Amino acid sequence: MKRIITIIMAMAFMVAAVSASAAEIKIGVLSDLSGPTSAVGQPYAEGIKACAQYLNDNGGINGKQVKLLQVDYAYNVQQALAAYKRFKSQGMVALQGWGTADTEALTKFVARDKMPTWSASYSAHLTDPKVAPYNFFVAADYTTQMRAGLKYLKENWKEARAPKLAFIYPDHPYGLSPIKGGKEYAAEIGFEIVGEENVSLKAMDATTQLLALQKKAPDFCWIGGTTPSTSVILKDAKKLSMTTTFLINLWGNDESLIDLAGEAAKGQVGLQAAAVYNDDVPGAALIRERTGGQAVMSHYLRGFASTLVMAEAIKIADAAGNLNGKGIKEAAETLRDFDPMGLTPAISYFADDHRPNMSVNIYTIEGGKLVKTASPTLERKAEWLGH
Amino acid sequence: MSNGKCGLFFETYRGEAQLLPSAFQKWSLGLFMVVLLGAPYMLDSYMVSVLNLVNIAVIGAVSLNLLTGYCGQISLGHGAFIGVGAYATAKFTALGVPFLLALPLGGAVAAVVGMIFGIPSLRLKGIYLAIATLAAQLILEYVFLHWESATGGSSGVAVDSPEIFGFIFDTDEKMFYLTLAVAVVAVLAVSNMVRTRQGRAFVAIRDYYLSAEIVGVNLFTTKLQAFGVSSFLAGVSGGLWAYYTMYITPEQFNIGLSISYLAMIIIGGMGSVQGAIFGAIFITLLPEFLNITASALGDIFPDVSTYLLAMKEGIFGLVLVLFLIFEPEGLAHRWRLVKAYWKLYPFAH
Repeated sequence: MKRIITIIMAMAFMVAAVSASAAEIKIGVLSDLSGPTSAVGQPYAEGIKACAQYLNDNGGINGKQVKLLQVDYAYNVQQALAAYKRFKSQGMVALQGWGTADTEALTKFVARDKMPTWSASYSAHLTDPKVAPYNFFVAADYTTQMRAGLKYLKENWKEARAPKLAFIYPDHPYGLSPIKGGKEYAAEIGFEIVGEENVSLKAMDATTQLLALQKKAPDFCWIGGTTPSTSVILKDAKKLSMTTTFLINLWGNDESLIDLAGEAAKGQVGLQAAAVYNDDVPGAALIRERTGGQAVMSHYLRGFASTLVMAEAIKIADAAGNLNGKGIKEAAETLRDFDPMGLTPAISYFADDHRPNMSVNIYTIEGGKLVKTASPTLERKAEWLGH
Repeated sequence: MSNGKCGLFFETYRGEAQLLPSAFQKWSLGLFMVVLLGAPYMLDSYMVSVLNLVNIAVIGAVSLNLLTGYCGQISLGHGAFIGVGAYATAKFTALGVPFLLALPLGGAVAAVVGMIFGIPSLRLKGIYLAIATLAAQLILEYVFLHWESATGGSSGVAVDSPEIFGFIFDTDEKMFYLTLAVAVVAVLAVSNMVRTRQGRAFVAIRDYYLSAEIVGVNLFTTKLQAFGVSSFLAGVSGGLWAYYTMYITPEQFNIGLSISYLAMIIIGGMGSVQGAIFGAIFITLLPEFLNITASALGDIFPDVSTYLLAMKEGIFGLVLVLFLIFEPEGLAHRWRLVKAYWKLYPFAH
């Protein structure tokens, strides 16, 4: 009898929790909390949650509370698909997606269902509304990031000869995505491309690849991995006394690299699409205040920024009485130089161009901290859209 | 049974060879199919989408069970064969081939690829064959990623919704009938195949290859046929997956997919068509069940859900291990025991 009463009580609680959902804006959140990308997926998801909480603490979006529907899909496409359908049947109006695998598998679904999606997969082809009309993100795409990084290196190059450039990346959709466009741009602005090597995301050693590159003596080398593989490359390069400066892609360059690579990370050039915890911007100050000085990773700040930008689009759509997928998408496309409290470079989306901006932040590791050194911006060239 | 006999007694060979020997089975299956056909009208689109995933998984699991469960040829490359079917179907669709032709053609391409990688099966057995098929998985993943003109490389390819004589299957509900129809055909095909001379040859090879050879089974061609038929169905399952998701990338057909199909047939029961179906349902529904539990608990205890979410993959692994220890013959075996219990009730023996 006791057990039956407990079960009935529990069910009553659930029903109560479900029914208390009037005047809410439901946002689906696909997170990887336990899968292969969970090391960065967790702080990103925390950032999204923190932003929703911040919005709710400040009156929600036009007085409506934000309710997150979160699922840990463990970077499994099938689970992402099912979760997306579940969110949809629960009344989600927009989605915060996560990685390459799920974002791309959902591209056509979100287009058909008119479900605006902000993801953390920055593949260039997702910025072309002809291919992915309902996809958005808040960072420059991978190729644009690499171009901006190369532009920065070239501008700071003092010698008369052309700088030599090499590429290291995993043979993986994420690693391959910016290589073609990046190489073309490097050749165009006067780099001499001397070599390329593959280092797996799970690599424990990169000596063979680095020895091959060392003979070609590159001045700069792109690393398109994640922090574990990046730290392996940096440490092995230090062991081989290489003098190359490494340009590290956004997922290979965060606070954990400082611990993983130690001294080897010093002086390297890393790309970031968002601010870091100790930056002097209002958004970072707000996050410092709300986390009580408990430092969080840059991915957290990017998740926060992504939700903030999405909330802005929802706010505009709601004010115009169009709180639906199409309305939110069109509202997002009216954003011009929207500043998410300095957390990312200013954001603009256009109906025929979903590149949020053409800027990337450059951070170097000094004294065990990420220090911002520059924020190069490229011209918004039409021929780069989607490549 | 309805006739009160303690078992089924056949007086003819034809009677014994029936797929559904008793009237009760025919009626209950009929009823089950009617309920299934009505499902889209009763369930919301999330549930229907899960059923779609189940249907697609059933085709893949049944095909793998034919190869591994019935013929004893372990395959760790099944995910890649599914991928070959998916890419081939996508390509045929892009070339304007209608759905009814593109799907079997996709399967045919997968069959050819599967048979090529099945050639080592004459020389290799057990764990060695598993490694050879693992090589197939790695090679095919490489091809998906680098053959840009055919597969779109890292960007993947978009696929249009299937269309039969002008009718477009563009919702979960419509897709459900399509995937269900293909799944039923696949299950029937495999159930029938294992009852033929060919199917018995598969089992003979699995049980002891020398005896099989002595009674006149050609090991090489029979094994290749098993690879061919299995990969064909895997390709069809991949084709449906491509049509359903409308966007395929190399990451969808990684080693994880191969392993989850192996898990399906182990949990369901090796060498049983019914087992493959049970396994496909179980593996597809388990993460959904865990997710729903986690989010339901999350409404009441916010902190619990965080830990539960993080433990999800662990729970998944634990369930697999517990199955291997306590139910090594799979769900199909348990199902037989349950049936026997009710048949003999109230007498235990």
